[in-house]
Amino acid sequence: MNLLTNPTRILFFTGKGGVGKTSLACATAVSLADQGKKVLLVSTDPASNLDEVLGAALGNHPTPVPAVANLSGMNLDPQAAAAEYRERMVGPYRSLLPAAAIASMEEQYSGSCTLEIAAFDEFSRLLGNLSATADFDHVIFDTAPTGHTLRLLTLPTAWSTFLTTNDTGTSCLGPLAGLQAQQELYHQTVLSLADPSLTTLILVARPETTALREAARTSRELAALGILNQHLIINGYFTTVYQNDPVATAMQARMTHALDDLPAELVALPRTTIRLSASNVLGLASLRAIFGSDASIADDQTPAIHHVDLPPGLGSLMDELAEPGHGVILTMGKGGVGKTTVAAAVAVGLAERGHRVHLSTTDPAAHLAAAVMGNSMPNLQVSRIDPQQVTSAYTTEVMGVAGANLDAAGKALLAEDLRSPCTEEIAVFRAFAQVVAEGQKQFVVLDTAPTGHTILLLDAALAYHKEVARQASEMPEFVVQLLPRLRNSNLTRILIVTLPEATPVHEAGQLQQDLRRAEIEPYAWVINQSLAPLSVHDPVLHARQNHERPYIDEVVNKHAARTALIEWQNEPPTGILALEKLLTSTNRS
Amino acid sequence: MPSIQVFDKPMCCSTGVCGPQVDPVLPRFAADLDWLRSQGVSVDRFNLAQQADAFVKNAAVQELLTKKGIDCLPLTFVDGQIVAESEYPSREKFIEWTRLPFTVAPFPSLSIVTDTGCCSEPGCC
Repeated sequence: MNLLTNPTRILFFTGKGGVGKTSLACATAVSLADQGKKVLLVSTDPASNLDEVLGAALGNHPTPVPAVANLSGMNLDPQAAAAEYRERMVGPYRSLLPAAAIASMEEQYSGSCTLEIAAFDEFSRLLGNLSATADFDHVIFDTAPTGHTLRLLTLPTAWSTFLTTNDTGTSCLGPLAGLQAQQELYHQTVLSLADPSLTTLILVARPETTALREAARTSRELAALGILNQHLIINGYFTTVYQNDPVATAMQARMTHALDDLPAELVALPRTTIRLSASNVLGLASLRAIFGSDASIADDQTPAIHHVDLPPGLGSLMDELAEPGHGVILTMGKGGVGKTTVAAAVAVGLAERGHRVHLSTTDPAAHLAAAVMGNSMPNLQVSRIDPQQVTSAYTTEVMGVAGANLDAAGKALLAEDLRSPCTEEIAVFRAFAQVVAEGQKQFVVLDTAPTGHTILLLDAALAYHKEVARQASEMPEFVVQLLPRLRNSNLTRILIVTLPEATPVHEAGQLQQDLRRAEIEPYAWVINQSLAPLSVHDPVLHARQNHERPYIDEVVNKHAARTALIEWQNEPPTGILALEKLLTSTNRS
Repeated sequence: MPSIQVFDKPMCCSTGVCGPQVDPVLPRFAADLDWLRSQGVSVDRFNLAQQADAFVKNAAVQELLTKKGIDCLPLTFVDGQIVAESEYPSREKFIEWTRLPFTVAPFPSLSIVTDTGCCSEPGCC
């Protein structure tokens, strides 16, 4: 394939979580290393699983992967980068200033903005400073889920414009103030990304309508940033020779239909199609097999597990969820596991019981509207927290309140500060807190952003909570109450959504740990798109079905207090009728 | 011309827009300092998170920090003398302290403020 025969120096894999970016980035890296090229593989995902896929312990700096000559890997860990950055800013003053002053400096450098900026700074160093990676022929980035990646990619433009036009010297640079010297580096980062002889942007998508639409959106947004050298990988394409297997033929039909409808932006891109593998991609042999021409399938004739000791569908959870008559229900988990679908089904189920329900999302790549498919239902309100829209509303509000008594120069100063990239973070956070507050009176079902972003939001909640505790005035009630509300298990129920596969289960386990650190206890786990309860004959699906077992067991025995399992659906779960099926699970064959 | 120095709490930004609720005092104060600058006054503003160096170098600031903790911030100096502690002085105060031959410019009327459908008190929206 052309991606591997004449690759650019920088290969940047992006796409929704769960589409197989890490596997494909690893397979590309291993393949190039096998050709004798020196390769550095970098993950910028806060929930990286590079270690698991490569079977190597990686750190914050390039580390050789023992089993593959010429290959080094690293995890760009935002927490570690933020800690290093904080220490760089605070450390020199430890012996020079009183302890109280040091403590308050540290607190100021603990917010989500610092985390974002520190991660971005690391990322820029690798991408913009070519000497940092001079030892390598290729640098391959396995990025975070789309929304987060886009933020990272748009930041260089936003920040560098901001820095060059900010001439009063007093403006809101936040923690970036310590990084002004890096302006040239950020500029270089944008240039590197947009140089087609240097960088290829590889969009990874599953052959599913919603995933392809999102890839098209990403493609457009990146093109607008000048990143035009793009390549599309369709990962997990499936065809069957077993025409008497209704699940297999339905799956094939769903994929064919999705590809027939390929958005125009994507049709125009060079494309590589990777077949659905029979098992999870873990270990070097399966990585090397990805780009191999022979998609051989292990002849797995182990009897299928027809009996899963779990009640079908979400129905078993609905009674308990509905019982309080109001509250906040959050779906969380890795991108691409079906959080939106589960949130929409729960909302439909509650509305059907006659409850007033507000279904909303903070996911920048939401397809909630598509999930409910324009069907309207009594009692059900659907909305989306649009970052641009809430930022603009927040800016207007601040100008109207804090700016009311300022003269023209003062207003200009405030307006300039509000152009800070931090403003969006604050505005989204406030909108999230505001929606959560509605759960006091009615049901609010929130489909949150992919893991990385969710963690940032919760971090923000924690940082603000500390801030609130210190200066209780001036804080809107809904902000003050956010964390107590999220921690109140009588009010907030968190559903962790996962697929019965290694990475989504392990990442969800990590997410649960993060939640518990914030003193938030998840209510139940939902295993989505499971083949386990279905009757399948196709050997690939049969093998995948058997591979689900250990992960289902892991969820039930190790992670979850309650578990619900939704089987793979013959029809895409969009529209009220299809969503209702998830509550009862009726397509058992 | 007089000189003014302000030592702030650790802040993200001088107008406070990085917090979950903007305190209207902060953008007003930032605007006042900007106005003083435009009148030729030398103004330096330091915040503990980003310009800790300035705090280390000023013995009076160090002493107050040790004695009273960060609650003494913001500290305002005019020509090297502390004139305010734990508060943001008004434009009138600065005119008085610096003996500048200016009167306070009248605030613009509220009619030009965009109506956000929001009341004008902080924290109520």
